[in-house]
Amino acid sequence: MAEVVLNQLVKSYGGMAAVRSIDLTIPDGAFAVLVGPSGCGKSTTLRMIAGLEEISGGTISIGGRVVNDLPPKDRDIAMVFQNYALYQHMTVYDNLAFGLRNRKESEARIAEKIAHAASILSIEPLMQRRPKQLSGGQQQRVALGRCIVRHPQVFLFDEPLSNLDAKLRAQMRIELKRLRERVPATSVYVTHDQVEAMTLGDIVVIMKDGLIQQVGTPLQVYNDPANLFVAGFIGAPAMNVFKGKLDAAGEKVMVEGVALSVGERNRAALRGHAGREVMVGIRPEHIALGSHGNQLEGSVDVIEQLGSEMHLDLKMGNAAFTVARVAPDAPIRLHEKVTVSIPAERLHFFDADSQQAIRPASLSGALAA
Amino acid sequence: MLALIAPAAVTMALFQVVPIILGANASFRDWTLYDPKKTWVGLKHYIEVITDPAFFGLAIPNTLLFLVLSVSLSLTFGLGLALLLNRSFVGQSVVRTIVLLPLMVAPVIASIMMRWMFNDQFGIVNVVLEGVGLPPVAWLAYRWTTMMVIVLADVWLWTPWFAVLLLAGLQSLPKEPFEAAAIDAAGPWRVFRSLTLPMLRPVIVVCVVIRSIDAFRVFDQVWVISGGGPARTTEMFSIYAYVEAFQRMNFGKGSAAALVGGAVIVVFGLVLYRLLNRAVEVSK
Repeated sequence: MAEVVLNQLVKSYGGMAAVRSIDLTIPDGAFAVLVGPSGCGKSTTLRMIAGLEEISGGTISIGGRVVNDLPPKDRDIAMVFQNYALYQHMTVYDNLAFGLRNRKESEARIAEKIAHAASILSIEPLMQRRPKQLSGGQQQRVALGRCIVRHPQVFLFDEPLSNLDAKLRAQMRIELKRLRERVPATSVYVTHDQVEAMTLGDIVVIMKDGLIQQVGTPLQVYNDPANLFVAGFIGAPAMNVFKGKLDAAGEKVMVEGVALSVGERNRAALRGHAGREVMVGIRPEHIALGSHGNQLEGSVDVIEQLGSEMHLDLKMGNAAFTVARVAPDAPIRLHEKVTVSIPAERLHFFDADSQQAIRPASLSGALAA
Repeated sequence: MLALIAPAAVTMALFQVVPIILGANASFRDWTLYDPKKTWVGLKHYIEVITDPAFFGLAIPNTLLFLVLSVSLSLTFGLGLALLLNRSFVGQSVVRTIVLLPLMVAPVIASIMMRWMFNDQFGIVNVVLEGVGLPPVAWLAYRWTTMMVIVLADVWLWTPWFAVLLLAGLQSLPKEPFEAAAIDAAGPWRVFRSLTLPMLRPVIVVCVVIRSIDAFRVFDQVWVISGGGPARTTEMFSIYAYVEAFQRMNFGKGSAAALVGGAVIVVFGLVLYRLLNRAVEVSK
C-alpha cells in the first residue's frame, strides 16, 4: 500500500490540454473515485498514474517515490480495463500467471497466489477456460484476479463496470466493496457514473475540463457541492436550480416572483451578496408536497412512477423543477396545480457569475482545512 | 432473381467453365497443330505426364520448393516490416511508400532487373563481390543459385503485399491487451510471442493460403530469369505445361499436365487450409 500524490499534473496533446493542473493526495489505503463527464480528463489522469500516457508537466509519486519516468511495470500498480483486456488465447490460469511469470516467480509460488486470488473471486472452476468462453461478469472477475495476484501497491480501475448490464453492474459494485475488505490497497477508480462514485469512494474527485471541481467524501460533495457543476452532477435526479435575487437584507430570495426565506444557516454567508442575483439550488428529494414554510406552486407536467416513489416535473412560470420521493399512490393528476414546501435549511446558493457555492463560513473553513 | 445472376453466370461460364471443358476435352485427344484430327486417346497423356520423371520428379517438387521458400520468406520479412511500420517514427509515411513500391512493379520487369543484377559478366552483384575481393559467381549457370535468384525476385515482389496486409491486421488489434502486458512486465519478445502473433494468426492464415495458391502457378519470374534452366533444373509446373502446349504445340499433353497440376494444388490448398485453420482454432 502507498500514498499517491499528484502534483500540478498536466497533460496536453499538441495545444489541447486534457488535464490542466491537478493536485491530489490519495492517502495510503484510500479508495479514490475520479468522476466526471466524458472528456473531463479522468481517464487520462489514471493512465498517467499507470504510466500508459506520458506526463506533460508536474509529478506523480507513489509511496513517496516520483514515478514520472518509470515504465508501467516498475510502478508497482495493477490496472483493470474497461473491456477487461484479457489475453484472449490464454487460459484463465495463464492470464493470471502471465505477470508473475514475467517477474520470474516460481511456478509453485504462482500456483499458490492464483489459488488464493481465485478463492477470493470464486473463479476456481474457470481456470482452464479461455476468456471467450466466459460471460462479461466472469471476464471482469478474471481481470480483477490478474490484479490481485500481483499484490501491487496501487489498484487502478478504468471504468471497469461500464461494459456490464445494469443488474450485473450493481452486483459487481457490491463485490468490489467486499473485495476492498479482503484486499486492502490504495485504489484509483475512474467512472462517469455518480452512483459508482458515491457508493465506492472514500474520496470522490469530481472533474470537468481537465480540472478538479471538488474533492471530498461522498457526503461532503452531496451536502456541500463547491459549485453549480458539482451540484448538478452529484445526485439523481439532478438538483433543481433557479435564478433568484436576494433582497436588500440578504434574508429573502425572490424566485419566479415568490419570496423564499434563505434560512438561518445561509444568512451570514449571503449577507455579502445582499441585493444581488444568485443561483438557488434545491435537491428534488428535499422538496415535499404540502404548504408549510417556504412554498412554491407549479403545475404537474410529467409524472414518473417508479413504484417505490413518484417523481413529478413541475412547471412554474418559465422555470421547471423536479420533486422526488412523492408517495407512489399520491392522488396527483397531470396538469394539476400543486403546492410544495421548500425547507430553507436545504437551499444551496451559488454566485451567479462565478457559479461557486456561497457557503456558510463554518463550512468553507472546515473544507479548506 | 435468375435474371440478376444471369450476366455473371454467363460470363463465368464463357470465360471459365467453357475453357476448362475445352481444355479437359483436349487432354483426352491427340491434338496438335500439325495433326488436326483430334484423335481420342483416353488417358494416354495423363499416363505420360504422371510417368514423366520431369513432371513429378522435377517440375512439381521445384514448384513446391519455390512455394515454401517464397511464401515463408516473404511472410517473415513482411511481418518484420509491418512490425517496424506499426511504430510511429519520423518519416513513417515516406518509408511506408518506399516499402510499397515493389507492388507497383510488374513481375516481368522485376524479373528482368533481377536477371541483369545477377548477370555473370555485367551484374551489379558480381561487381560488389569482386569489390570486396571475392570471385565472381555464374549465378544463372547452376540449379540452386538460379533457384535462389528466382525465389529472391518473388520475395522482393511479394514482401510488401504481406507487409501491407499484416500492418492493417496489426493496426486493427485492440490496444488494451498490450497495455495490460506492459503493466504485467512482458518484454518485447514475450509480447510478440504471446500476444501479437496469436492475435494476428487469422490474418496470417488467410495471407499464406492466398499466396501459396498463387505461388503454385508462378510463371513470369521463372520464364524470364531462367526459362526453367539450366537444363530444365528450375522448371516449374506452369513452365512444363506451357512448353508442352505452346512450344511443342502438343495441346493434349499440355492440357493434361495443367489439369494434373490443378489437382495437386487443390489437394495442397485444402491440406494447407485445414492445417492452418486448426492452428487458429487451437489458438482461440
